[in-house]
Amino acid sequence: MKALAQVVATLSHVPGVVAAMIVGATDGLIVETSPVAGSAGATDPRKHTAALAAYLYSKVIRASDAARLGTPAFMRLEAERGHIFVVGAGDVVLVTIVTTDANLGRVRLEMMTAARDNS
Amino acid sequence: MTDPTVAEPWVAGPLTRLKEDARLISGVLLYPSGRAVGQFGFANAADVMSICALTSAINASARELGRQLDGKPFYEMHHAGAHRQVFMARATAGAQEFLFVGVFDRESSFGVVEIYFAEFQKALERLHPETQAPGVGPTGDFEGELNRSLDALFGPIGKR
Repeated sequence: MKALAQVVATLSHVPGVVAAMIVGATDGLIVETSPVAGSAGATDPRKHTAALAAYLYSKVIRASDAARLGTPAFMRLEAERGHIFVVGAGDVVLVTIVTTDANLGRVRLEMMTAARDNS
Repeated sequence: MTDPTVAEPWVAGPLTRLKEDARLISGVLLYPSGRAVGQFGFANAADVMSICALTSAINASARELGRQLDGKPFYEMHHAGAHRQVFMARATAGAQEFLFVGVFDRESSFGVVEIYFAEFQKALERLHPETQAPGVGPTGDFEGELNRSLDALFGPIGKR
């Protein structure tokens, strides 16, 4: 199993990834995150993104189960100014915030690989 | 789920929003003295009375524990049970201090509760009246304060 810091470092170096985080699947708390200048402590907006992304992912699991689709493999939230990607990896979820011009396929592949290696 | 019942009308909005956004099952806002300010999720005054007394005592203990272990008081506590979790934290509005205790289950998460509690805290700061409600400081009459606040929330004894 790769060190969590290494997973985050690998993901954050993919072009277009603004932030990469490993978040507790049930509590929504950040376990590991890529450094972003000027963001720290209670006001760090990533803390909000992490908690809400993990929460949303838990609802996606339920929706997928209700639709008899099995476990979701990947979640992509497309917004006006970027994307949020989430993938489950056991007790944690990997979360990335990605720009609109990023290579989404590459980000997805890196996240799926990291999730597989850490499950 | 019922709307909050409050002893001070200005906390009704923030409490409703916190309850809905954080998906809390129940919650009580109180003064550190143990006097209840608002609650949701409880139909029984005795339950609120117990929670206020326990929260007040836990807060005092946690502060002292924090001072002794870390040199500064602990202001937030989270207990994750098998099915339900308890979140306890202090909030301030101007010079006035409050305690909040909330219960949630797997429909929410600690991270989500923390986020919306931070918004709740901001709402209290924004909405609190300039003139403080009379008698919010500790008077030494713990039982009397508790009963008065419960009367405000559930009606006088005999009508509850």
